[in-house]
This record gives sequence, C-alpha cells and structure tokens, in this order.
Amino acid sequence: MNNFFTALVNYSFMQHAMLACLLASIGCGIIGTYVVVKRIGFLAGGIAHSVLAGMGIAYYTGSSPLAGAMVAALVAGILIGWINLHWRQHEDILIAAFWSVGMAIGILFISRTPGYGIDLMSYMFGNILLVSDQDLYLMLILDIVIITMVILFYRQFLAAAFDEEFSRLRGINVEFFYILLLCMVALTVVLLIQVVGLILVLALLILPAASAAQFVNTIKHMMALSVVFSIAITTSGLVISYEPDLPSGSTIIIVAGLVYVLAIICQKLFIKTRAT
Amino acid sequence: MSPIIQLDNVSFAYARIPVLKNITLAIGEEEFLGIVGPNAGGKSTLLKLILGLLKPDSGTITVMGKSPEQGRSRIGYVPQYPTFSRDFPINVQDMVLLGRLGDTRWYGSYLKQDRDIARQVMEAVEIMDIRYRPIGSLSGGQLQRVLIARALACKPDILILDEPTANIDMRVEEDIFGVLKKYNEHMTIIVVSHDIGFISGYVDRVACLNQTLVCHITDEISGKTIEELYGAPVRMIHHAH
Repeated sequence: MNNFFTALVNYSFMQHAMLACLLASIGCGIIGTYVVVKRIGFLAGGIAHSVLAGMGIAYYTGSSPLAGAMVAALVAGILIGWINLHWRQHEDILIAAFWSVGMAIGILFISRTPGYGIDLMSYMFGNILLVSDQDLYLMLILDIVIITMVILFYRQFLAAAFDEEFSRLRGINVEFFYILLLCMVALTVVLLIQVVGLILVLALLILPAASAAQFVNTIKHMMALSVVFSIAITTSGLVISYEPDLPSGSTIIIVAGLVYVLAIICQKLFIKTRAT
Repeated sequence: MSPIIQLDNVSFAYARIPVLKNITLAIGEEEFLGIVGPNAGGKSTLLKLILGLLKPDSGTITVMGKSPEQGRSRIGYVPQYPTFSRDFPINVQDMVLLGRLGDTRWYGSYLKQDRDIARQVMEAVEIMDIRYRPIGSLSGGQLQRVLIARALACKPDILILDEPTANIDMRVEEDIFGVLKKYNEHMTIIVVSHDIGFISGYVDRVACLNQTLVCHITDEISGKTIEELYGAPVRMIHHAH
C-alpha cells in the first residue's frame, strides 16, 4: 500500500494510470447505466471485440491503434444497429458474427505486420501503466462528448430505452437514438480499452452499473452511483495489483465482480425487495 | 363539423389473414366512443392503425385532417399491455413527464410549464402521493392511473384507451371513468373494452367490431345486436340514461 503511494507521488506513469481510471470511470458509469437498463450488454461486447479489427488494420498500416479502435468501434456500432433495425436479423447471431469476425480480421492483420513484438496482450487485456499524455487527452475528449450528448438528450435516451412505442408516438426518432446510443457505447469501449483491454471491457461496462441498480430507482442516481463504483473499483484494483505485480486489468475486473456480488447480497439482506 | 378522426373503407390483414374489412368510421370532436367486440375482433389493430403504428392495406385514415403519423402527436395513448419492463429504474413522476416529450424543447431538461402540467394531471388522477415511487412497486390499478396521467400529460385533443379496465378492480375503474368524463368536455375519448355493459354507461356511441363495424347510439344497444356480434347470447346489463 505504502509503496503504491510512493510510486504515485514519484512516477508519472502511476499518475497517468490513476487519471485514466478516473476518466474511464466517468464514461463507463454513464453509458454502462444505459447498457444495463436497455439490456444490450452483449451487443456492447460485440462492439468491443470487433474493435480488434480496427486495431489490427491500424497496426498494419502504421497508424495509431487507438484511432483504429475508435473507427472500428463506431463502424461496428452503426452497422450492428442498422442491420438490426432494417434487415431484422436475430440480434444474438449478429453479435456473434461481429464479435468473432472482427477478432479474426484483427489477428489476420497483426500476423501480417512485419517485425516482431507487437504486444497483442496489452490490447486484449489492457495496460494501464502505459497510458500516455496523448491517450489521456483523448479520454478526456471522449468523456466530454459523452457527457454533452447525455445532457442534451437525456430525456430522449430515457424515453427510447424505457418505452419505444410511446416514444415513437411522441415523435422521438427511436431508431436514431438507438444508433446514437450504440455510438456512445462504442466511444466508451475505446475509453475502457486503455484500462482493462478489449476482452474485459464488457465486465467494466456492466458490473458497476448493475451494482448501482441494486440501490437506486432512477437513471440519474444510477449513473452517479455507478460512476462512484467505477472509480472505487478501478483505483482499488490498481492499488491491489501494484505490489504483487498482478495484471491490473484482470485485478480490476475481479474487484468489479466482487462488488457486484456484495451489492446483490446487500440488496437481499438490507433493502426490502421491491414488490412487483 | 368535420370529424376529428376519419376512417374510409379501411382494410387490414396480418400475413393475409384479414383482421379488419372495409371499416368506415367518423369520430367527432368531444365524442366519447366505445369500441367493443370479441377477442381477436381487431380492436387493438384498429387503434394501432389510427396511431400510425400499422399501415392499412387499403383505405385511408386521417387524424385531425392529417396522416396518422403527423396527427398522432395530438393523441394521448394508454396501451393495454405496458410495452416497458416493470423493473426499469424510473419513478412515477419521471414517467408522467415523458408525456411532455414532443411538446417541449428538444434538448436539456423539462421546463417549468412541463412540470406544472405533470402535477396537474397527477392531481387529476390522484397519484400525487405516489409520485416518487418506482413503477416496479405499483399495483395494477396504480400503474393504470400512471399510464393515463402520462397520456394526459401530452395535452392531447384525443385520448385513446385500450382495455383500461383489464386487471383492475371495479371500484377503481369507476373512479377512472369519472375522471375521464370530466376531461371529455374538451377532448375526444376512444375506449376499447371487452366489457360492454360497463362502458356503455359512459360513452355516447358504441362501435361494435368483429372484422366489420357496426355503430350504435348507446340507447339502441339490445341483446340482439350483441348476440349478432359475439355469435352467442351474452348477459346484458340494461342501462337507462
């Protein structure tokens, strides 16, 4: 513990890691809430995994993998949403297709990239200790975009997530806000890849919000509590992993899982279950 | 006076199975219309056509002189089965406020005017005391009132209710219809029900729907017309007006 704080004071990589945790938690808590209430967890998982295609292509062409990730995430989000709405395919099949084909494309391009030593593992499982200044700025911008969109369209996102038919009758373009939400999910995935890697993004997107849902009754409160949970989970995971030199991403996810289990237990034991 | 809703020779089929055949119906301003008929007689389908959620195979529908898609913003709709999940984290007040969407500014939060309207309709249907309760904790009757409040919050010219009496007890029903009767003074109301004996005490006119449509002034309803409609004798409650 003490060593961690010494490192935090002395090393900029630790300060960067802490900042990355905070920045990722903001987007993750807000968008994770929508993912949980709209039950599109696995759709988010599909977007996250297909991001590897973008990263692989970016690596092959020598551009920034994170930029590739962002393009791939947005393309996957828009395509999954559009196909789902217009071609009426089964959602689970669509997700599976994007999930696996995306990863396959990524691995294909990475295998063709000349030279050796691409750290595939750090994309897959994240490496929060390697977050650069530039990454932090990108994360800040993504957070600002997410917060702005949610402040502007909070009610439309709420209405479309809650009751599509009624929203449509009130003149809300439900399809547009569905795809916009998937784009927000895509940006959040990119935000979280830095912290836990694309394999584990799904857990961090869902578990803090699902834990928060045990204690609150409105979306606003759920967002706030889930941001708090995310910050607590990511920073404590980072602290725990530091001294024994554990992989930080995996440690964070295990902490997230524990928090979720504790949240369910607390809800069952101490809070009267809501009547249905 | 031109009708507020006009259906002209409307037919509709689900996967070639005809549900509605040649429906012609004019609904006037401030009318309280009941639509009755057996299950699968096309009642909900007719409402969905008026709301523009379905498109007729033939015939035309106008709502306030416009197409259903354009005119429906003036309709408040109370669905039979809530189309949302009961464990969604939203409370009564926030749900009623959603009725203001489409009528308020497009960004940010609600205006004071929206909150005032939401409070008025919650007072009208007597749900002020439960306004901070999550919807998952409500009884069937309470949820029905919330659904009606949300529809009234749209400040509609037309209110459409699909089976509002299903799943709630009779005393509560009478309360709700009393409230609606008051709103009827400046609003067209269409109620779909399987329970003809009950609604005929409130409505001006009853449309009997079983693929085709027959309209009655409420006084004219007799056991015979009901028998024709359902194809079997039905216990009839006599109602004097």
